[in-house]
Amino acid sequence: MKRIHSYILAAALALSTSACKEDWLERQPPNIILENQVWNDVTLITGLLANYYDRLPAHSQPDIGWQEYAAYDEATWSGNDDARNNIISYPFDRWRLWDYGLIRDINLALENIQTYGTTLTAPQKTQFSAELRFLRAYQYFELVKRMGGVPLVTQQLIYDFSGDPSPLQQPRAKEEAVYDFIASELDAIKNDLGNTGSNTRANKFTAMALKSRAMLYAASIAKYNNLMAAPITLPGGEVGIPASRANEYYTKALEASKEIINSGSYSLYRANPNLGENFFDAITKKINNQEVIMAKDFLTAKDKRHSFSYDNIARNIREDNLSSSNVTPALNLVEAYEYLDGSSGELKNRTADDKDFIYYNNLSDIFANKDARLYGTVIYPGTSFKGAEVQIQAGVMVWNGSTYQTIESNTLGAVHTDGRLLTGSSGPQRSQTEVSNTGFYLRKYIDPTPLSSTRGIRSDLWWVRFRLGEILLNASEAALELGQTADALTYVNRLRERAGFPANSLKTLTIQRLQNERRVELAFEDHRVWDLKRWRIAHEIWNGSPSNPNTTMYALYPYRVIRPGDPARDGKYVFVKMVAPRFRAPRLFQLGNYYSSIDQTVINNNPKIVRNPFH
Amino acid sequence: MNVRIFPFIMLAVSSFLVACEKDNYEPPKSTLSGRVIYQDQPVGVRTNGVQLELWQRGYQLFTKIPVYVAQDGSFSASLFDGDYKLVRLRGNGPWVDNTDTIPVQVRGSVTVDVPVQPYYALRNQTFQRNTTNLTATCKVDPVSTTRAIERVTLYVGTTQFVDANNNAGNINLTGTALADLTKNLTFNYTLPAAIANRTPLYVRIGVKTVGIAELLYTPVQKI
Repeated sequence: MKRIHSYILAAALALSTSACKEDWLERQPPNIILENQVWNDVTLITGLLANYYDRLPAHSQPDIGWQEYAAYDEATWSGNDDARNNIISYPFDRWRLWDYGLIRDINLALENIQTYGTTLTAPQKTQFSAELRFLRAYQYFELVKRMGGVPLVTQQLIYDFSGDPSPLQQPRAKEEAVYDFIASELDAIKNDLGNTGSNTRANKFTAMALKSRAMLYAASIAKYNNLMAAPITLPGGEVGIPASRANEYYTKALEASKEIINSGSYSLYRANPNLGENFFDAITKKINNQEVIMAKDFLTAKDKRHSFSYDNIARNIREDNLSSSNVTPALNLVEAYEYLDGSSGELKNRTADDKDFIYYNNLSDIFANKDARLYGTVIYPGTSFKGAEVQIQAGVMVWNGSTYQTIESNTLGAVHTDGRLLTGSSGPQRSQTEVSNTGFYLRKYIDPTPLSSTRGIRSDLWWVRFRLGEILLNASEAALELGQTADALTYVNRLRERAGFPANSLKTLTIQRLQNERRVELAFEDHRVWDLKRWRIAHEIWNGSPSNPNTTMYALYPYRVIRPGDPARDGKYVFVKMVAPRFRAPRLFQLGNYYSSIDQTVINNNPKIVRNPFH
Repeated sequence: MNVRIFPFIMLAVSSFLVACEKDNYEPPKSTLSGRVIYQDQPVGVRTNGVQLELWQRGYQLFTKIPVYVAQDGSFSASLFDGDYKLVRLRGNGPWVDNTDTIPVQVRGSVTVDVPVQPYYALRNQTFQRNTTNLTATCKVDPVSTTRAIERVTLYVGTTQFVDANNNAGNINLTGTALADLTKNLTFNYTLPAAIANRTPLYVRIGVKTVGIAELLYTPVQKI
């Protein structure tokens, strides 16, 4: 019996060794995809591109960094901590980005598609290479706008193990050289990109949209940096662009914008006759939207989704039992929206002699005849979302014969002794968290789909990287700076007309006017801080001074008046402006914030890297 | 059974304690302190604004230790004994760039004065309060005229921390008021209603140089 066992064992062993010799060790690994498999398979290449698109950085977008919307002058933070209401000063590394991982992956892909892509057709290779170069240009733009000139690495760097890494250590390029690189790359690839009609993958017009934005940034740095009393520069030009190049960059920005505007492929979204809802739809509607040039898309069915709605939906219409109401727009932004007659957007809550309140019949009346973009961006008192009223009322004011006594409740939705509402079910509240602290809620990018604000379902609204609205503003600014004021007015007035202003509402144009136009049109789209930086006014607007109204975030608290015997006032609504109660430190942007600091480990590894000014 | 497990638990717990003692470093005990001075007088700055940096070579981790300067121009840091290099960060304080390194040997307590050359210095400041009016005078002394003067500001605060970012009221002198710096500057300031009746108040004058973010201040004075 034992013998039989050993025979069987021996036979089995022999069999297994012979199998090894044949093909056992020659199998394809089941968990590794080889280069020559990837670069000959269109589906795999597309998958890889999806990964690169996903890794494109943004400072604040609905899936990453959205909290920072509350760190500037668009909103305050009404969530569970005070960090963004109490930024003593912006740290010098706040916008730091040094992601050469993505650059390397793209450089590697560009080389490998040529080496390994044997069965791809030449047009396929050209198109994929063009798309990869678009992504690399995008990444370099994100690097240069944060750090100034960065090393321009366009091919794989390979270490030769000689013990001397200095051939790999590249110095920083000039700031203008990086912008020139972006422009020349985009021009070179724009006709090879294909993807016509796509608004999630790059096509010719996406490349021009990126060029329009990048050239506008370069132009305004060239102009406004040199208008500063002491321009921010480095001796090697790593930071700072000569003023002589401003016109050239503005011209390039205008040409790129015109290519999109005149193509006829894009138009402002105007499907909804309700102008406020229309502006909301223009950014959030994914179907039949001719305005969006490129977006980062999400899809619940594929589990690609984000929690932006869960975290930021108005309190009384939230569908989950936690979070909500984190980023709440400030009165500063609300007042930046003008009245439709062209007058300043300052809300009229007191009589001209400041002796009494102005009494309104309805909560929303104080916002009547405002720029429709306000409705599309902000939920203000007296408006609805998802078909339900967002109940915003701070309390009541009771007349005691000589003055008003203010009564507020800590219970949301509390009823006053007269049987009517005391404090709205959406606040505002002075100290409670997860309720608006400012009296406003966010509408832009909040998903109106049922259950999209629950943690289980979440939202798949997309995030717009480029849309025609921005391109029109880019064109208008570039034309204005080039002295083509008539064209500049045409572009900006088209955008204002969509927001409810009459045709040709602006007759004259200044850069300050355009700055405000950008602020209200592109609020919560990751533009504000970058715009203020390139105009070199961030350190003046956010100078940290407590007496500067721009540095402090304000709130608007609505109250119902109880004044029996005075029918002109009883039951009406009044509004109180105040510093947002949870807001602590005035915004302070220092000169050293214009360019972020470079990590010391980067400098230790590559001594050729020079530091940015002031750090 | 319970009795038998107990020693093992004790052993496990005690091994944690032993490990803790072995792993941790002693906290740094030596201190470096000093002042930023011009002509042997400390230079007043904004609280939490200006920093000096300390570097120490010879270790794998090479990264700076920021040392913030207090508003009276003093600074201090707790350090391990060793040889450090103290650097005045470019463009950071209200003084002319000087990147000369100051070597510092820390053995126990060390005091180091960091000399700087401001663009403009302030002298002979006086403050007079007449209930709701404040009168102040000072003399601006141009030290290095490589950069123009932007403004001179009187700051009033309700706490002892007074600067451009912490104040309850301020008044500027700019433009032609600063044309002739050989004369004394005079501020006449009507206190804002919110602080008009408060005592004490704290006052300070700051001078701003073009292109330099930080101001140079006089010492805080209580009035």
